[in-house]
Amino acid sequence: MGHILVLDILPLSFRMSSNCHVTTLQLDSVSQAECPSVHLLPCEIEHDGPAEVSQFFTATIKDQKHEKTVSFRGRGLKGQEVSCPQGYTGLVLREVNKSGSDQEDRTVKVSSVFHKVTYWNLETSPNSDDGIVMAMAWPDLAEAIHGPVDD
Amino acid sequence: MTTKKKRTPHSQNDRWVVVAADSAVETPKKDDSDPTFIRLRNPSTGNAASLYLLGSGDVQLYEVKAFKEDFHSWFIGQTVQRDGRLLYVTPMDPLYLLLPYLIKAGEEGKFQPVDQVVMDEDFPACTRLLSCTRSQTSLHHVAEEKEVGSQKFQRYSQERTMEWLKKKVHRTVKTLRKSNISVGEGVKSTTYVRVKQESETQEEDYLRYAHGLISEYISEDLSKALLKHLQLPELSSPKEVEPPSKKRKLTDKPLEAGEDYTKFNSSDFSRKPPKKMSAAQKTLAKVDKTGMKSMSAFFSPKGKAEKK
Amino acid sequence: MDLGEFEADNSVSCRLASAIPDVCKTEDCCLGIDEAGRGPVLGPMVYGICFCPVAKKEALKDLKVADSKTLTEAQREDLFRKLDEAKSFVGWALQILSPNTISTSMLQRSKYNLNALSHDAAIGLVQFALDSGVQLKEVFVDTVGPAEKYQEKLSQRFPGVEVTVRPKADSLFPIVSAASICAKVARDHSVKDWNFPEDLGEVDADYGSGYPNDPKTKAWLLKELDPVFGYPQFVRFSWSTTQTLLDSKAVTVHWDDDEEDGEKAAARQNNTSMLSYFKTGSKTSAQQGNTHQTHRFFTERRLQSLATL
Repeated sequence: MGHILVLDILPLSFRMSSNCHVTTLQLDSVSQAECPSVHLLPCEIEHDGPAEVSQFFTATIKDQKHEKTVSFRGRGLKGQEVSCPQGYTGLVLREVNKSGSDQEDRTVKVSSVFHKVTYWNLETSPNSDDGIVMAMAWPDLAEAIHGPVDD
Repeated sequence: MTTKKKRTPHSQNDRWVVVAADSAVETPKKDDSDPTFIRLRNPSTGNAASLYLLGSGDVQLYEVKAFKEDFHSWFIGQTVQRDGRLLYVTPMDPLYLLLPYLIKAGEEGKFQPVDQVVMDEDFPACTRLLSCTRSQTSLHHVAEEKEVGSQKFQRYSQERTMEWLKKKVHRTVKTLRKSNISVGEGVKSTTYVRVKQESETQEEDYLRYAHGLISEYISEDLSKALLKHLQLPELSSPKEVEPPSKKRKLTDKPLEAGEDYTKFNSSDFSRKPPKKMSAAQKTLAKVDKTGMKSMSAFFSPKGKAEKK
Repeated sequence: MDLGEFEADNSVSCRLASAIPDVCKTEDCCLGIDEAGRGPVLGPMVYGICFCPVAKKEALKDLKVADSKTLTEAQREDLFRKLDEAKSFVGWALQILSPNTISTSMLQRSKYNLNALSHDAAIGLVQFALDSGVQLKEVFVDTVGPAEKYQEKLSQRFPGVEVTVRPKADSLFPIVSAASICAKVARDHSVKDWNFPEDLGEVDADYGSGYPNDPKTKAWLLKELDPVFGYPQFVRFSWSTTQTLLDSKAVTVHWDDDEEDGEKAAARQNNTSMLSYFKTGSKTSAQQGNTHQTHRFFTERRLQSLATL
């Protein structure tokens, strides 16, 4: 509630400016982007920054017939890989020279590129009802909704 | 054993995991600008701003959506990212965003150049939509056009718009049919208990579903008009959710000859597996059920296997 | 003792067994059960059974087996070798519960506690002996928990076998002492030669006994803590020692079944129901007016529009 009040007393020009400002995606950064392995975990980790993922996590992943298994913080995870839909690429965008202010144009660059994501469920086997699997249906449907219609 | 710490609020992000259409991130042609994320008026809500992406040289518009499940984070290489969202950047028809401006100008009833119509002091970037290749070539879907000399003039046409949206709906139905998205469990009119055949109901389910999807990109008024145009009765109360299958079971009418029987074996009819079980359901599931007759066995008449 | 099979994958549970002596398949046998490594915060918990013909009880006594806890490591090794030499009439089997199995079981959504885990391991081993053709007549079990209940459970599970569950059974019945030696030797070996599946390079092996109150173990736990992952799988995450250390020194991790967040979710639910109770009269204008309802395709897929990057 507090936030809404604060916004309401801001001058109109401020609100407008946040709509004026753009965030540029620097594409020439793609060539220098890394291709790391990308994992989606079923927990929120209160951390943004380095971690010994390959040493602790990747090294202990077991590949079984229909699923992968691993554990994190003593909890059993089951997962599988999902690919980006045809015609789509995974990117990690990173803000450069973050100003922390809403008042300026911003710039992001491509810091990583990926084509597959390994997602992990807490204890349940991966299946077609998993969120990310279902969400990957979106680009196909977006094409239907937004593609050109015949005259 | 589990942590009892409260979740701390998440400060602003400086990193995003994105799945983007290749066309959005192809290296720009010489001299073309980089793609830009911009905020524009969301056509379904009218006032709220949503985030979009204009590709290199403003040639193509993209929509940005976030897949967000609670309690998720990323490992990206040798790093952790707390924000577990996955952003989708998918091509978007710019006409959906231009439409509100054309409708507004159309109230005056006269032909106007489109660049005088698409202006918004709250969202100045909206003029850039006119640079999209598809904007200029598809305006005739929603407006009448007149050419005077080298200048083009447009006037919004509800009739054309309805036809255009109808095509959009049918296009979407086609894709839905090919997918295994279940469209049948949605809202159903309580006043609409007409006895129907399965195939007809299916068709309506698809139409309604596609209409709902298209309605994400148009105003409520247009959405209602489109429903009429599709000859779908308005639902009395969208709040009252009722599984359509219940009503359907009562109508055990034999299929008429000429009906496409093969459809009933298609995947359209196979139900999705049940969602993840709750803890209570799991406990139930663990109960040894050997020797227990299922409840439905008592009620279903013999020899009439239900089609599920 | 060859632990190769367990060492090949020490993240899961593993069964090791001697050959079954022929005489055990024809004569009435007794069987002892004991465990090793229940208390430590590090390494596996090992369940052991040892069995021999009832008629050979005296011969077993002559091997001078005793409760493994009263013996030095060297004495245990020596006794295990003697048991192995007596393979014409003594057989053994082990169930090694990896620390990762212990962690993930105890921290499971539907909790699987250490007692249940232990009982299941013991039952599994007795069943293994039966399946292998051992003519079981008497079973002796050492326990730390309530003996009667456990005895009842095992008696019911194995009709026709006389079950005796007794605290300190490892010092009362030589066949239990023998089982305790097998279990303890396996536990010691696996901890000493722990093959870290993590890619950690040289890990300091000076982790002491693994008991939470051992100063060496404490120091090792403090030193080896990783702020994101906590510990290698060698450490039991389900021990309060570990959780306390993680709570104070590692990055906080939230799961959807955390108690705190669960309570919060419940509170939230109560809140909304309260709100809707008060709102029933006016909700239509608020919800149907300007607020656009997102189509279920998107809500089901947890897809939402963004206002800003």
